[in-house]
Amino acid sequence: MTIDWWTLGLQTLNVMILLGLLQHFFWKPVAAMIAQRKALADKTVADRSALDRQAAQAEADAAKTRGGFAAERAALLTEAELEAGRARDTLLAQARTEAAAFQTAAKAAVQAGQDAARRAWSDRSNELGVEIAGRLVARLDGDTVQAAFLDWLVAAIAALPDQARKALADHAIALSVVGTTPLTEAAQAQATSRIGAAFGYRPQIAYTTDPALIAGLELHAPHLAVSNSWRADLADILESLGHDQRH
Amino acid sequence: MKSPLASLPLFHIGPVPITEPVAATWAIMAVLGIGCFAATRRLSLAPSGLQAAMEMLVETIDSQIRDTMAVAPAPYRAFIGTLFVYVFVANWCTLVPGVEPPTGHIETDAALALLVFLAVIWFGIRAVGLRGYLASFAVPSPVMIPINFIESISRIFSLMVRLFGNVMSGVFMVSIVLSLAGLLVPLPLMALDLLTGAIQAYIFAILAAVFIASVVGDGGTKPMPATQGTAP
Repeated sequence: MTIDWWTLGLQTLNVMILLGLLQHFFWKPVAAMIAQRKALADKTVADRSALDRQAAQAEADAAKTRGGFAAERAALLTEAELEAGRARDTLLAQARTEAAAFQTAAKAAVQAGQDAARRAWSDRSNELGVEIAGRLVARLDGDTVQAAFLDWLVAAIAALPDQARKALADHAIALSVVGTTPLTEAAQAQATSRIGAAFGYRPQIAYTTDPALIAGLELHAPHLAVSNSWRADLADILESLGHDQRH
Repeated sequence: MKSPLASLPLFHIGPVPITEPVAATWAIMAVLGIGCFAATRRLSLAPSGLQAAMEMLVETIDSQIRDTMAVAPAPYRAFIGTLFVYVFVANWCTLVPGVEPPTGHIETDAALALLVFLAVIWFGIRAVGLRGYLASFAVPSPVMIPINFIESISRIFSLMVRLFGNVMSGVFMVSIVLSLAGLLVPLPLMALDLLTGAIQAYIFAILAAVFIASVVGDGGTKPMPATQGTAP
């Protein structure tokens, strides 16, 4: 067995040339096409992945937006509740204030009504008292009443301070006696006598009448007045009653 | 008497004798070159049946390179793939009446083995440098340098002899049976010969990849990309 070196060399060269031919016309273009398809597939997968991510992001954004809506709704509800609470408190405070004002005004009105009624009843009572007293006085014996009131007047003069009586006596001041009915001459003389005894001098006395006294006998001087009538008594009683009611 | 192992020249180009294996190889080169040119002119993203078959072939070779060498297949695809395609087509030349497979002659197998020997050196130096390639002979210890050197020669020799013996024996057996029996009797042997030729092509290519990987992998080869792509 021998080896043909020419054949060996040519075959070596042939295989090398074939290697170049196949590299250029087969391996390289086919592999490039495979790589191109793979790149396209990878791009498609990447695009799909990107779309999936975008979809997931959009879904997350939508969920976040929905969550924002819920949070905003809750915030609005909370704010509305707070606002309603504040408005309710304000209205309640105003209502309380107005009710208190109404109550105060009502109380004042009631009090005023009561006062007015009391005054009316008081006035009416006065009138009634005066009327009753007048009727009662009318049924009494006029001389006896006059004598009684003269006694009370003398006692009141006696109760005056000595200086007051002395001042009148020293100046011989004229006096005025007011009765409800005119006094007779005798009665006037008796009254002048007793009043003069009480003062310690013989004064000049003018006798007048005033039916408003109801009943009584009053003494008036320039700087002195002795109230001795039922009118004065009723006035004192009313004043004392009014003082008790005020307190 | 003519020796069946001798390569007689068909004609001469000057002083160079053109033997039958060379002529057959030229024919194979022409067929493959023109065929590939025609087949790859209109590649598209929507592949035809032929393009799908070609892509499947490329993917299969890339897969084998990845499994065998554990490196990115692109730098080795053309060499390993061309060896497989050429040996496969050459072995199956028996399908053409009157044509003997070029690999049935020792010169062709020697040429292929020589190319593998040179490729191992080339890829080794390119991957790990001259110093790294030479250092690969001292693995696991410098004592192994002679043995590793002899191995690098012997394995190439065994590669050559394996292919030559299998193809040549198949051709001989078919010839002998054909001369002794009828026309259809050698058909099973021819079919077996085709199967043997395909297997030998695969073995030759895989062994070439293993030999290259033995030097490429020793010096710290570039790691295989995570993606199993077929970048050119």
